[in-house]
Parts: sequence; C-alpha cells; structure tokens
Amino acid sequence: STTWHPPPEVTRIMVNHRVEKAKRECVVWAIALLSSGTVVSADSFGRVQFWDWQQGTLAESHTVSSSAALSLAVSEKEDSIVVGTSTGATYQLQLLPVKLGGLEKRWVRTKPFQYHSHDVRAVAHSPSALISGGTTLVIRPLMEKVQKKGYDAVLRKFTFPHRRLVSCARKARLLLFQFSQHLELWRLGSTEETGKDGEVLPLCRMPEHLVQLKSKGPEHIYCSCVSPCGTWLGYSTASRFHLYRVRCDGDGVSLRKVPKVPKLLPPAYQLQFSADSDSLFVASARGSVHVLQLLEPGGCKLLHIACGCSEAVYLLAPSADGHWLAAVSGDWAIHVYNLKCFKHHCVVPTYNCAVSALAIHPSTNNLVIAYSDQQLVEFSIPEKQYTGWSRALQSRGLHRAWLERDSPITHITFNPKNPAHILLHDTYLLCVLDKSLPLPDDSTLLMNQSTLKQLPETARKRQLHAFKICKKFQPLLFMDLLDENCLVVVERPIMDFKTQLPMPVQQKKFGT
Amino acid sequence: LTCPVVCNFETHEYIAVHDDKVLRIWKNEDINLDKAFKATLSADVYRIHSLPNGGPVVLFKGGGVRTLDVLLEAPQQEIENVISDEVIRWSGAFMEGQQPVLIFTTEKDGDFFVYIQKPKLSSLHKYKLEQWESSKPLCFTAHITNQTVTLLCLCSNDSVYQVLIPLQQDTEEEEAEKEEEILSRSLLLNLSVSGSVLKGTSLVVLDKDHVAVLGSLAAPGKEPRECLTIWNTKFQTLQTSKELPLGTTGQLWCYEEKFFLTHGKVLTVIMYKCETSSLAAAVGKLKDSQTPDVSSFVNWNTLEDEKLVVSFQSQESVALKSEPRMNLRSRRSSAAKVQPENVSVGQLLLNLKDASTYVLESELRQLMAKAPTPDLQATIGCVVTALTDRCKTNPKYYPKNFLLQIVETRDLSYSLCPDLMAVALEKKDVQLLQICLQRFPDIPEEITYACLEAFLSISEAHLQSEDVNLDSVICYIDVEFDNKEVKTEIVENGFNAEMDQDMCDTKIPKKTQSRSDGESCPVGPQKAALLNAVLHSAYTETFLLPHLKNLPAQQAILFLRYLYYLYVKCSEKVNTTLPGIRSPTINQIMDWMCLLLDAHFTVIVMLPEAKELLASLHKFVRAQVRFYSELNKIEGSLQELQRLNHLRDSQTYSIEVLEII
Repeated sequence: STTWHPPPEVTRIMVNHRVEKAKRECVVWAIALLSSGTVVSADSFGRVQFWDWQQGTLAESHTVSSSAALSLAVSEKEDSIVVGTSTGATYQLQLLPVKLGGLEKRWVRTKPFQYHSHDVRAVAHSPSALISGGTTLVIRPLMEKVQKKGYDAVLRKFTFPHRRLVSCARKARLLLFQFSQHLELWRLGSTEETGKDGEVLPLCRMPEHLVQLKSKGPEHIYCSCVSPCGTWLGYSTASRFHLYRVRCDGDGVSLRKVPKVPKLLPPAYQLQFSADSDSLFVASARGSVHVLQLLEPGGCKLLHIACGCSEAVYLLAPSADGHWLAAVSGDWAIHVYNLKCFKHHCVVPTYNCAVSALAIHPSTNNLVIAYSDQQLVEFSIPEKQYTGWSRALQSRGLHRAWLERDSPITHITFNPKNPAHILLHDTYLLCVLDKSLPLPDDSTLLMNQSTLKQLPETARKRQLHAFKICKKFQPLLFMDLLDENCLVVVERPIMDFKTQLPMPVQQKKFGT
Repeated sequence: LTCPVVCNFETHEYIAVHDDKVLRIWKNEDINLDKAFKATLSADVYRIHSLPNGGPVVLFKGGGVRTLDVLLEAPQQEIENVISDEVIRWSGAFMEGQQPVLIFTTEKDGDFFVYIQKPKLSSLHKYKLEQWESSKPLCFTAHITNQTVTLLCLCSNDSVYQVLIPLQQDTEEEEAEKEEEILSRSLLLNLSVSGSVLKGTSLVVLDKDHVAVLGSLAAPGKEPRECLTIWNTKFQTLQTSKELPLGTTGQLWCYEEKFFLTHGKVLTVIMYKCETSSLAAAVGKLKDSQTPDVSSFVNWNTLEDEKLVVSFQSQESVALKSEPRMNLRSRRSSAAKVQPENVSVGQLLLNLKDASTYVLESELRQLMAKAPTPDLQATIGCVVTALTDRCKTNPKYYPKNFLLQIVETRDLSYSLCPDLMAVALEKKDVQLLQICLQRFPDIPEEITYACLEAFLSISEAHLQSEDVNLDSVICYIDVEFDNKEVKTEIVENGFNAEMDQDMCDTKIPKKTQSRSDGESCPVGPQKAALLNAVLHSAYTETFLLPHLKNLPAQQAILFLRYLYYLYVKCSEKVNTTLPGIRSPTINQIMDWMCLLLDAHFTVIVMLPEAKELLASLHKFVRAQVRFYSELNKIEGSLQELQRLNHLRDSQTYSIEVLEII
C-alpha cells in the first residue's frame, strides 16, 4: 500500500485492497501525479493503476506485465506513459480516444519494447523518445514523433557510464579500477621487445594485482583517483571521503589511511591529483573545489576552497605546471582558477551542451573541451579566448561521421613530446587529433587508418587528416598515454559482466 | 486321487492316495495302477511329503504324522488326532539334520495354528498365530535355517509376512504342560509396485533374499494380468516379472531352480537363477562384465510350449511325472539353441505341405498369432519359407497379400527367408520387392542388382497399375506427370508417360529425351520410388560392381540419367537433402553414380546418346566442385577470423604494437 500526503488533508490509497491473492505483498515501486489529479502507480504485481487522488478510488487498472512494474514516467503532454518492468521490458501506455474523433479518452497499453535483459530501474519520457535505464541505457525514438529518417530516428544504446572509472598513475605505471564497492590497484606489465603493427609482444613482466580496497558499508563509490606518482589514492562515497598512502617496498604494497582528513562536505563528484602529486582537488556537490595539500609522510591539510560555481562540480582539470584548474559545474559552466594566487581566473563562454571531458595542455595551457554533442573547442587560458585552431575548426565544422557518434568523449590527454597531438577516446574509438594536419571534410573518409596502412608511404601524405582514429579496442573504458610511445587501454567486454548477472526474474523452469 | 502323487527318491517308487485312505505304490515299469501295491490305512491322509534323504512322510487329516516305513509295517495302526476340529490349510516337510520335520498350519474360526512335528522323535509343538485382523492368509511356505523355521505367509492384503519359529529340542514332559505360544508376525514384503498391486495366489521361497509370487497384477484402470514375479525381500524390490496372458490355476511349484506352472492349457517350466543380492543388482545396475558366468539376474527361459492336454486331476502329479522329460529337454535345447522350438512348428508345416491353399494360409496365420515372442522370428521365417516353397512347386500359387502383410508387419530379414525375394522377382512383384529393399538389412548384392535390373526393365505402363509406395519421391518429383491438360508443358520439358514408355521400348531415345539434362525426371514416379528403394539398400562396392557390369547399356543410361536428376535436385537445396520419407541422400546418389560410371564407363563413352548426358553431368559436377571450393575458402577464412578473434579474446592482458598513421 502507499500513502500519499497532499496538503492539507491525507488520502490513503490501499493499492493492495482489491487483490484476493494478497498472500504476496504488493509493493508500489513508482508513482506519478497527473495535473488532472490522477495518481498513477506502478506496483510489484505488474500493474499500472490510475487513482482518483481525492476519493482514493481506483479509476483504471492495467496489468502490463506478469512481473513487477518498477518505474514510471509521464510525457509532458500527459498523453503517454512509459513503464519499466523487472523483466527488462518497457511498455508504453497512451491516452487515446475510445472512438475516432470522440471526446472520451482511455489509457491503452500500446507498445511493448524489450531492450534490456534485466530490471528497468528508471524511465524518462522525452517529447520524441522513450528513455529507459537498467544495466544499459536505451533511447528509443517514438517514430510517430520523428519527422524524418535520420540520426534522431535511430535507437541508441549505452552500456557504460560516461564517467571515468579508471585512473592512471603515469609515472608509477599503475592503474586504479573503480568498482561499485571496491577499488583495485594494478601494476602494468612490461616488455623489452618491439615489433610491427598488430604484433603481440612477449611480456617480460606480468601485470600485478597490488591491492584490493573494499569500501566500508553499503554505499557505492562515487569517484576515485590515484596520484601520478602512485603513492596517494583517494575515493569518495555518498557520505565520506577517504585518502590513503600507498607504499611500495619491494614486492609488498601497503596501504595506510591518512588520518584527520579535513571535513569536507560530501559527496565529492570528482577527485584529481596535481601533476606533481603535491595537492588533491576535490570537486564537491555544493559547487566548490577543495584544494588539499598532501604532506609527507602521510597527511594532508585544506589549503583553499575555490568557489564560484553555482551547481555541483563534476569535472576537474588541473594544468601540468600547477598554475591553473578548470572545473565544470552542473550548469555546464567552466570556471578556471588561478592556483598560484587562489583567484578565479575566468569563465569559458558557455555552450548549451554538457561538457563530457576537458584537459589543459601541458605546454600551451590551452584548455581542450569535448561537449556531449561531439563538439571540440580549444580555449587559451592565459589569453582567455578560443585559439585560432579552435576557431578554424568551428568555422570548418566537424566531420559528419564524428558528430553522429553515439558515445561522448570521456577522456582527453596529450602527448608531451608532440604538442600538436591531442588524444581523445569514447567507448568505441580512440583518436589522435593532430592539429598540424588539415581537417577532414565530409567528402573524405573519417576513419581512414586501415586505408592508409594499405597505401605506400608516398601516397599516404595526401590522404592524411587531423583525425587519426583507431577502433581496435571496444568497448573502451579508458585510455591514457604513459610516455611518448606507450599507450594504456582498458577494454571491458560486455559478455564478461553480462554472464555474471543473475537471472532478471526468478522463474520456475521445468526440470531445473 | 485325493492327494498329490510323490516320488520316493530312495526307492524310485511313486506313491499315490485315493479315496483318502488307500495307498498305492508303484514303480516306473508298472503300467496298470490297479495292479500296483495297495494298502488301506485307518485314517484319512492329508498329504504325503517326500524328503530327499528321509523318505516319505504321511500327514493325516487329524494332524498325525507317520513315516511311510512305519506306516507300511502296520497299515491299520491307529492314528492319533492331534487337532480337534481345526482344518489343515498347508503343510510342508523338511530335513533338520537327520530328522524329518513336518510343519502344517490349521485354521479354526479364523484363528490359525502352526504345528511342528518330528515324527521320529514323536515331538509336537503347537503355536497360535497372532490374530490376523482383516487380512486372511492365502498361502504359506516355509524353510528351515539355523534351527529356525521361517514361515512365510501371503495374505489377502497383498503383503507377505514372516513368522519365525524356533525349533525346540525340549523333552516330552515339558511339552505336555506347555501353553500354546502365540507367534507374532512381521511384514516382509509389500506386493505393490508403483501403483499396481499384485494379488498373489502362490508363494515360493527361492533363497534367503528372493521369493516368487504368482498372482495377478492389478493396476488402477487396467485389467488385471496374471504374472509370475520374483521379489527381492532384502531391498523390497520387484526383480522381474513374466506375464502369463493365458491365465494360470494360481498354483506354482518350484523344484531344482525351475518353476512349474500351468499357463493356459500348457505346463510351463521356467528356469530361474538367483544371484547373491546386492544393491546394484536390486536397482538393476549390475554390470554383466563383472560376473560373466551369470548373464542376468534372473534368466527366464521358456523350455516348453508344447500342448500338454492336462487331463490329470492333480497338477502336481503332472509336474513330477514330466520332470525327467523336462530335464532331458533342457539339455537338448541348450545344445541346439538355434532351432529350439521348431519340432512342433516344423512338424506342423510338414503336415501342411499338401494341404489346400486356404487351409495352409489359415493355419499359418494361426501359428503366427500363437507363436511366443522369443521364437516369433524363426517361426515366421519358417512360415515364409513354407509359402515360398509352395510357390516354387506350384507356379500358379502366389499369396501376394499374405506375404506383403508378413513383410510389412514383422521384422524379417533376408537371411530368415532367402527365397522370398527370388520368388518376388520371378513374379515381378515390385511392391513386395520395394518393401523388402526398405526393410531387409541384409540383402545380398546379387539380389539388389536383380531388383535394380527388374525395376529398370519393367515398363512404366505396367508400373502404373502397381501399388508402389511413393513416399520417397512425392516431395520432389515433377507432379502431374500424366495430366493431359498440362501436356504441352510437359512435352517441352522432354517427358511424358507415353514417351518414356517409348524410350524403354525403342533402342534409340528421341532427341527431346536425350536433351533432358536433369531438369525433369527421366522416369515415372513409380519407377523412381522403386529405384530409390534400391539406392537405399546396403551394399559393398566390390560385390556389387561385377553384377552392375551386366546391366544393359540402355538401362544403365536411364539409371544414370535418373541419378543425375536426383543430384541436380539435391543441389538445389541448401542442405543438399531431398525432402520426403526414405528419399535417397546425396551420398547414396553420388556413390551409385560413381559405381555405375565405373561399371559402364567404356560403354557409356562409346554410346552417342550418352554423350550429351555425360557432358552436362561433367559441366554440372565441375560447377559444383568450383562452388564448393569457394565455399571451402570462405569457411577457411571465417575459421581463421574466428581463431584470431578468439586469440584476442582470451588474452586479458597483452602488449601490442599499434601504429597510428
């Protein structure tokens, strides 16, 4: 049953009331309120029910599924509802006239969709699409609302969060993997051989699982980071922030928790160590960035709180020289702070799209920003303006194939030996953006690496363009440059974790 | 006769009682019972028990017991009445050491008593059996082990109970004062198996762990069936059962590892063998290889199915009398197991040799219906042989339908009735030949070839009237072959029924026919079905090839054309199989094609009309070979891709060289 409190009086609706087989308890998993005063409920019996909120009476009941209905979303016009169930199916209910042209309208279950294998925990209803989220996120355009066949009319599926779950200690060659309840620290293997393209080199040292750090309590880990030198490790859950000192002596690795961590207002959305591993930047949900100074042998103190963002900060990018810090807040504004004098430096001109990744170039201090609509800009922090290359890119426009990609850029890094190189990656490709090369137009092939490889050296020159794209690693969780000719790439095959998932709904099958 | 006849094993005399009191004793050589030794006793005899080493013991209806020797010394001696007004229900005699022991049970007003008598010691013990509530004892049996009498009792509630009685060595004085002891029973076995209950009528103990029960098995919703069952009392399992559909008298005897029972009007002897019981054996998981000398747990072996008209009043006398003969027969049957039962069948067939056709057939039908399962095959083989023999002697006689019926309904083989197919060939009975080809697993290549030749030579017109099974062709062959309305189209395709007939008759086929390049079927559906039957039969190339060489050139070409047609049809499908039941497989088609070309290559090459056929066949085969080699290449590439993919997948960590241009 559910209780709902509309001020000033209380109406109690007994959802379980009319169920004879009331041996099972009915759980209402989601409710929605329509402007007409109708309460919509989705319950564990797989029903979507419409209640009169004043009388508390049941107006309509639709059993959409034999398993639980978990989530519910109503369209803005309130003529369509999307329901997510525990079998991974989503259903659309629409308010349709009983007779063609008639005034009386009824809710009718219209379309079933099955895009998920497990629970659909969240659904959303955009004007032209149904969005459902479980183990994957699916955007299903409503074909009747889409005007023409094109990019918008395509079903889109996202398996991985557009957040960084891996961090890399470049100097120490360590990788930190973030799982929902624990962290794993690995030392990368190495080789002494070289070879031709595509060759797998023999390892002279195997990768080594150094430490597994379990988070206490039921809370999920929000963010984590390992310092470039590999001696500091921090993570944050919804309520707490933890900092550890990692000590590698010989083969053994010890973790020591840093005591008396300054009281921060949790949760932290992003952690970032400075390039020299001297300080830690903590992006807080309250819109501030805390700068902590890391002290030897294992302590820290709060150095500064950078304010200016009105919403939660979710991305941070410090410059390699320790001079600048860029922070992205929930309202998509990018603030740049001067860390030398702890001053707010400037705000990057706002763009009406979410920032998916950003990084400051180590030698030029240009801020490279990737937006979720696949746009790329380069902003010079010292000059507080877009660079010439960025303006050229904007006026020229990005390649169509680049713009129509599904997954946003999640990480940007640079090649210290070649300032013209910007390295970017999303879930399906990694790209070396060479600013010294001409930009491709729509008539050229964007993903031309395999073509180039077949061409003789002399013929390649004319075909080269700025976007050097490699799609060899999929799904790509993380990519970073360790040194000028060493790239670390983390793949996470979907089957690896799909096979570990339990059955979506416990069903009795004959003979089992 | 008033009690079963027994044999004195020491003197080899037979002892019978008639009119309750008159004892008769005779030997094997005595023919007339009236002239045999006669002694009249003073009391009524209940039964005589013959013990292997102790001589016969006589139990009187009053409960008195005498050994035969004692009795014969003074036949008119007075016999005491031990039981007052109880009635003897069952009795049994055993040897305990050198002492004969006689056990009998009596009934009075629903109470049952057990008496144990040792006639040589004149000791008598009386026990009362525990009150039997609702269940009534139907049958008793007992055995003595370790000074203890184990009395088994089959009760009306479908259970076997066990009563243990110690054999006491007490003196007479004590015995006189003894109160009658009450014996308690314990449940030994419940005669029910998965819902069905065995209503037992007779019970026999086989060894310490096995009992045999004769009775009717009643499952809910089914008619009760009489059967003989062997139960393992240790594991409470039904070891085996044998159905006795003709019914029994409810009596079962067991001597020397053989059961004797009346089955219908026949005395059936069944050998059995009990192994030491083990759990593995009880659940049927004993491996034969471990105990090679015991092939299975219980060996059923029907030795006798001769009609013995049971005219004796007592069944047991028959059992005993026939026992020596049984032994004899069992020896013979094991010696000549190949044709165990055909004495009577053979005799019958011999008798019928000159009988009229009608009598013969009806007798044979009867014989087949009666033949018991293990001998069925051999019997039917004999029947078919008898029929074919008659066909051979009488050219006008050919029981087509009867033969068809036999071949269709029974699992025959060529070796069982070697003449059948020869006769059918002679009579050109294509229908029977087709069925034989489909069903016999062991047709010699010579006969297969003869069938092929016959099928190819028979005219289509003749085949039209034959009732050939078209299952194997109906799914792929061009239908409406003789439909006149679509004749034009058919002619264009180079085939119609009449033309085909022409082709068989005339030496040189018409041009239209020679042009038929596998697009239409060169033979009618009946002939195609018959040829398919040939294609389906098993053969060895080396044995078939010499025969195949004898095939006339025209027929060889026709057959080749048909094979080519099948090959093209097969290749049309992705899975290269022809639809339909018993349609030839691509391998069979290819093998026959190769064989035929091997056998006739020189001839075919020389024949002008075969030239085009060979050319188109060559072209088609070459195209197929190319197609498959391309497919092989693709398969190889895909496998390599899969391998590479797999290689990459399996590595969770690797350092690779990646060139970005």
